[in-house]
Amino acid sequence: MATVLLCALTLALAVFALTRRRLLWGVIGVGAHSLALAGVYLFLAAPDVALTEAAVGFALVTFIYLLALRRTGRLVVAATEVYPLLYQEGDAVAGLEWEILERFGRWLHRDIEVLWVARADIPRLLAAGEADLAAGGFLPREGERVLLSRPLVPTRMIAVRTGPGPCGAVAGDRGQDHLPPGGPTYEDPEELASALARGELGGAVVDLLRLREWQLRDRVGEAETAAVEEDLAFRFAVAPGEEEVHQALEGFLGELEASGDLARVRERYLG
Amino acid sequence: MEGIAAAALGIALGGSGLWTLVRRRNVIWKLLGLNVAAGGAILFLVAVAHRPGARPAIEGLGSGPAADPLPQALVLTAIVIHFATLALALVYVIFLTEHRHTQDVHKLEREPEEP
Amino acid sequence: MRWLAGAAVVALVGLLALGTWGLFPRPPVPSWEEATAAFGARNAVAAIVLGARLWDTLLEVLVYAMALVGVRMVLRPLSRVQPVPPVSETPLLTRAADILLGPIVVFAIYIASSGHLGPGGGFPAGAILGSGLLLLALAKGAERLAQELHEPSLERVEYGAIAALLALGGLILVLSWRGSWLLVGANVLIGLEVAIGAWVVLHHFASSRGEV
Repeated sequence: MATVLLCALTLALAVFALTRRRLLWGVIGVGAHSLALAGVYLFLAAPDVALTEAAVGFALVTFIYLLALRRTGRLVVAATEVYPLLYQEGDAVAGLEWEILERFGRWLHRDIEVLWVARADIPRLLAAGEADLAAGGFLPREGERVLLSRPLVPTRMIAVRTGPGPCGAVAGDRGQDHLPPGGPTYEDPEELASALARGELGGAVVDLLRLREWQLRDRVGEAETAAVEEDLAFRFAVAPGEEEVHQALEGFLGELEASGDLARVRERYLG
Repeated sequence: MEGIAAAALGIALGGSGLWTLVRRRNVIWKLLGLNVAAGGAILFLVAVAHRPGARPAIEGLGSGPAADPLPQALVLTAIVIHFATLALALVYVIFLTEHRHTQDVHKLEREPEEP
Repeated sequence: MRWLAGAAVVALVGLLALGTWGLFPRPPVPSWEEATAAFGARNAVAAIVLGARLWDTLLEVLVYAMALVGVRMVLRPLSRVQPVPPVSETPLLTRAADILLGPIVVFAIYIASSGHLGPGGGFPAGAILGSGLLLLALAKGAERLAQELHEPSLERVEYGAIAALLALGGLILVLSWRGSWLLVGANVLIGLEVAIGAWVVLHHFASSRGEV
């Protein structure tokens, strides 16, 4: 009976490891699976094999995987979609920040994987180690434990007034700071725009790029706009435990700025 | 019972490992899949060597039927060799990442090698 | 050509079928207890690895050594030119390494030299010793440990161990020597080879990929 339970545990660990999104979890899961496998060998009256599997499969194999991953794993970017910065074009990802991220990936010899998430989930994903970077029009808020890169694109927060009624914002976005406590928030910016169009909301607090995107697509008609916060900038955010990635990103962006490439890319996308 | 459960586990591990090997595009994921599949193959051999109520094939360690020592001996060296070949494979992955900047097999196939 | 191939296949299948019907006389197979005792061992697995299937083991050790040569050759040009920054001193790890290293080495030697009597043998002993070196590398930094271990002489020890192992194999296989001391010697040599190999892999990975 114990053997059957141990077999089930081994299989569960292997399936857990092989279905992870992050390679690091995969490696740790396969290591744990090896240890459970050594236990199964012990029950099968093969102590020599169990000893070898525990020493080799658990300690040495896991460790060389970790060393190989150290510089060659993929960078997971948690991002929200914002039109000229980071957006999906068919299957591909495009945008100003994507160009920078792709070059950063080549520079570090790592693949970049974008995880599309809601803005409110980003701090949790970064803190849990599910993602290394955050992008897509990231504006820091008070009390978020992230490492910030240097500013990429200057922007400001704008209050849009279309009529009477409460003001809304994207959940977790900096615009939420400008709402009265308990103000209506929406996970998806699209829902915010439709609520605004239907007249459920009398206004919204969003950043300049989001507003421009809405105006381009005629999501908001006639509206009064007023800047509520000046001198902001979109940045990348790095997970709090990833000081090395943060330093590398700072160095890379510094080079990009010094060579004038950053200004050229900005010119191309934003005019 | 134990032997059958372990043999089934070995087959399941082999299957899931091969599935990862085929479906994942990242080279290191493929190696992890291969790792699990190799573990399944080894477990299958050890499970075949087992018989109900068997003891380890060591003299003076209990009485009754002993497990067949031959597959166990074959498997012992296979585990260590697997470590060495895995290290070699990872070295090539590192080499590949330094020179081609990606571990994605689709990208490696599509993009021509840089001079 | 096709006929020949067909005839060859039929002949092969026929031979296999005849074999399974028991038409060929089978050599008497001694019980595993007798075979094990003949090699001077009590653990049947050790007797097979170092006796009945010694060719297999010797060639696998050679495969292991060759894989290590590959690791060295590919990673040498990739190692970092600039010196690696020293690791931050973590007192807990350093003390733990100091305390644990002795028992780990003793345990590895015990596992290797008693492999013919109970569970164990050269392969797990080498892996355990390798994990001990890994612990030491974590505490001290791989580069410092590499200087203390003196890599070139380690390489000489490794090839010396392989040569001695081949000589022992010759004694067992060609001259049919039997005895417990042969098994102990072979196990210790295999353990040494595996441990040095594990250390080489860890060191080269660490030096080309950053600190441990």
